[in-house]
Amino acid sequence: MNPTQTADRFIIPIGPQHPALKEPGHFEFTVEGETVTGASVRLGYAHRGIEKGTESRNWTQNLYLLERVCGICSHIHATAYTLGVEQLAEVEAPPRAQAIREIFAELERIHSHLLWLGVAAHDAGFDTLFMYTWRDRETVMDILEEVSGNRVHYSANILGGVKFDITDKAANTILKGLDFLEERTHHYRSVVNEDTFFLQRTRGVGLMTKEEALRLGVVGPTARASGVERDIRVDAPYIAYHDFPVNLVTLPTGDLEARFLVRLDELLDSYRVIRDILNDMPEGELTVKRMPRKMKPGEVISRVEAPRGELFYFIRSTGGESPDRIKVRTPTLCNMGSVIKQAVGHNLADVPMILVGIDPCFSCNDRAVSIRESRRNGQEKVWNWADLRRYGIEFYRRKMGLESSILE
Amino acid sequence: MKKIGMLKDMIRSAFRQPVTELYPVERRPAAEDFRGMLHWNPEGCTGCALCVKDCPADAIELITIDKAAKRFVIRYHVDRCLFCGQCAYSCRFNCITLSNDEWELADLGRDNYTVLYGEPEDIEQFSLESEPEPDIEPA
Amino acid sequence: MAIVRDLTYLMFFPAGLGLIAAGLFYQWIDRKLLARFQNRLGPRWFQPFADALKLLGKEEIQPHGTSAFLFAALPILALAGVLTAGLAVPLFGLPPVFSFPGDLVVSLYLLSLLMLCTGLAGAQTRGRFSLTGALRAFTQVFAYEAPFILALLSPSIALMIAGEAGSWQIWELAQSAANRPWFALTLPFTFIVAIIGLMGKLELPPFDAPEAETEIVAGALTEYSGRGLALFNLARAAELVIGLMLITALYLGGVGDGLLVPIIFTAKSLGLLVIVVMLQTVLARLRIDQTVSLWWKLGSVLVIAQWLIILIIRVLNLGG
Repeated sequence: MNPTQTADRFIIPIGPQHPALKEPGHFEFTVEGETVTGASVRLGYAHRGIEKGTESRNWTQNLYLLERVCGICSHIHATAYTLGVEQLAEVEAPPRAQAIREIFAELERIHSHLLWLGVAAHDAGFDTLFMYTWRDRETVMDILEEVSGNRVHYSANILGGVKFDITDKAANTILKGLDFLEERTHHYRSVVNEDTFFLQRTRGVGLMTKEEALRLGVVGPTARASGVERDIRVDAPYIAYHDFPVNLVTLPTGDLEARFLVRLDELLDSYRVIRDILNDMPEGELTVKRMPRKMKPGEVISRVEAPRGELFYFIRSTGGESPDRIKVRTPTLCNMGSVIKQAVGHNLADVPMILVGIDPCFSCNDRAVSIRESRRNGQEKVWNWADLRRYGIEFYRRKMGLESSILE
Repeated sequence: MKKIGMLKDMIRSAFRQPVTELYPVERRPAAEDFRGMLHWNPEGCTGCALCVKDCPADAIELITIDKAAKRFVIRYHVDRCLFCGQCAYSCRFNCITLSNDEWELADLGRDNYTVLYGEPEDIEQFSLESEPEPDIEPA
Repeated sequence: MAIVRDLTYLMFFPAGLGLIAAGLFYQWIDRKLLARFQNRLGPRWFQPFADALKLLGKEEIQPHGTSAFLFAALPILALAGVLTAGLAVPLFGLPPVFSFPGDLVVSLYLLSLLMLCTGLAGAQTRGRFSLTGALRAFTQVFAYEAPFILALLSPSIALMIAGEAGSWQIWELAQSAANRPWFALTLPFTFIVAIIGLMGKLELPPFDAPEAETEIVAGALTEYSGRGLALFNLARAAELVIGLMLITALYLGGVGDGLLVPIIFTAKSLGLLVIVVMLQTVLARLRIDQTVSLWWKLGSVLVIAQWLIILIIRVLNLGG
C-alpha cells in the first residue's frame, strides 16, 4: 500500500472497551466505507499471572485457581488439570467419578453453547432470541446449582475423583431439565436455520474453507463447522468418553450458519450422552483410596475438549507439594487468527458476528508466552513440522498406546 | 412464505407471567446444597489444620488457644473466600458446613468480613490476648 | 384570554410538555411490551422519566474538535423541530394547535429534522463510531424517507386520483377520513410502508443499524452525554407519539365528532404501537445495505403499486 493510501485509511478500533466485547481485546479494522480491508488484533489485557501463581500453591489449591481461568468452562479446566496430576501420581479415578466428570463436562457444554447462542444473537441485533436462550439457559444453571452447589464454579473435581455424587433425585432433576432443553434446542435450531432475517446475517458470512481452517490451526466447533474432523472427545477419549462416546458433529459449509448449527447439534448430542450415562451409571467409589500430597517428578500433558475447542495443559513436577510449571493453552488463542482472516472483505456490520462466531473467551486466552534460549550449548535443535509430527505420533504411541495408522 | 422464527414465543409470552423477578423484593431460595457462607462447629475439631492448608484463598486461620484441651478459634475471612467447599470436604469430622441461605454477603465496610467462630469463652480469651488489628484504611 | 389558552396549548397540553410526557409514557409502553414479549418483567412506569431527569442533570462533556455552538444547538434544534411538527397534528384526537394548508408536507419535513440533526451531531465529531453512525444515519434517511413521505401523502393523493377534493392539511384530511372507510383497509400497502417507515425513522429494531451497539457503540450520538443526549431522547420520544398519531389520523379513521373521540383515537395509536413493538420483537437487525435494498426494492415498489391499483380501479370504474 502506498503512503497516500495509508494516510487515508480509516480505522475502526474495537476494544479494549466496547459494548460488543464483554471482555478486553483490541481489534483494529481498516475500513473503506463499510467494507473491511484489513484487520489486526492485540490481546493480553486480562493477563492475570495464573500460571506463575500455580507455582506457589499446593496441588489441591491449584485445582481451584485453575478452575478460575475461565468462568464459563471452569469444570473442563479443572478436569484437564486433575487428569494431568492423576497421570503424575499414577492413579486413576474410579469409573463412577469419571462418569460424573463427564456429566458435568457436558452440562457445562450445554450452558456454554446456550450462552454463546444468546451472545451471538445479540451481536446480530436479535435480542429476542438472546433473551429466550438465556431464559432457557437458566434451566441448566439451576440444575448445576442444585447438583453441585454453585452456578458457575461447580468444584466437582478433586484430585483422584469427584467431590459429590449424583443421587437419584439429582438425576431426575437433570433428566427433567434435559427434556425441556431438548425441545427448546430443536426450536432454536429451526429458528437459526429458517428465520429469514437472521439467515441474512449468517448464511454465507465468514466463510472459512477446510484448508484454511487446517492451515490456521482452528479448533473446536469453529473447525468442525468447516468440516475439520477434530474433537478430542472422539480422537483421544478421556474421562468416561470411552464408555459413553459422543458423536462427531461436522458440517462442510464453514459459514456462520454452520457454526450455529454445529453447536446446536452438539447440544442435542450432549443431551443424549448425559441420558446414556444416567441410565447406565457405573457403581462404586467416588475417589481413589489415597492421593499423595507430593507428586512424583515428571512432565505430563493432558488434552480435553472444552466447549470452545481443544484445551491443553502441560504440567511439570519436581517432586514437591507444588507444581514446577503449568502451561495452559486455551482454544480461543488458536481460533483468534481465523477472525482476522475472515473479517477482511466483509461488511463492518458482520465483524462482531464473525468475532463472536469463534466463541472468544479473552480472559482464558490471555497468558504470557516466553521463549527461552536453551541454556545448554550445543543442545539447541530446530524442529520442523515433520519432526514435530513424528515426535507427536511417537509420543502418543508410547504414552497412550494410540495407533497412528489412522492418521496416515 | 418467509419464516419468522420467534413469532410463536412472542405470542405465548404475551399471555404468560414473566420469568424474571424483581430481585430484592422477590427472592428465590438457593439450592439445598448451595455453597454460601462458612460455619464452623468447634465440637470434634482436632486442630489438624487441613482446611487451612488446602484453602486456595487463605480465608481460614486456625488459632490455637489450648492444644491439649482442643480449644481452637477459627478466624474466617469472608471477603477472601471462594466458596469452593474444599475445607468442608477436607474436614474429617464434619466441623465445617457451608450455609445455603447466607449468600447475600455484600457490605459497605470490611468490618463484617472477619468472623470469629468457636466457643464463646475461647473467642473472648482470644480477643483479649490479641492486639487490635492495625487500621490500614485511610482515615 | 385567547393568548393564555394558546400558550397553554403550546406549552402544556396537547403540545409541549404534555407531548413530551406522553412520549416518555409511550416509550415506557414500548419497553414494557418488548420485555413482556421476551418473557421479561420490564421497567416500571417511571423509568423513562427517571432516565430523562438523570440525563438532564448530568455533566455534559464536549469532545475536542467539535464546534461548541453546533454541539449545543443540534439537540435543541432536533427537539424544537419535533415539537413544531406536533403543532399541526391532531394529538390525542384533539384539534391541532396550529393548522394551515400544506401543513402535512411541512410536518413531514420537520419530522426528518431529528434524523438530520442526529447525523450532523455524529458527523461533526471526530470519533470513528460517531462518524460511521452518522454515515449510516444519512444512508438510512435516504433509504426510508422517500417511501415514508410518499406513503403519508398517499391518502390525499388517493383522494385526488379518485377525483375528490384532496388536501395537504392534516386536520382536513383527518376529518374527511372519519367519514369514509379506513384508509388502512383501502390502502393497505402504503399503510404498511408508513408504519415500517416510522420504525426506520426512529431507528427502532430491525432498523437500528445506525446505532448498533455491538458494532459502533451508540452510533452518531456516541459522544453525547448529559443534556444533549437527554434532549435527543426526548425528541425521539415525542416523535414516536407524533408519528403514531399522524398515521392514526390519516389511516385509522381520522378524527370524528363526539366526546369519546380522544380516547378512541389514543387507543388506536396505542394499538399501532403494539404492532410496532411486535415487529421489533421478532425481527433481527438488518445491515445498512440490506436496509437500503429493502426500502428501494420493496418499499418504493409497494407505494407505486398501491397508486397503480387505485388508478386501475378508477379507470375501471369510469369505464364501467
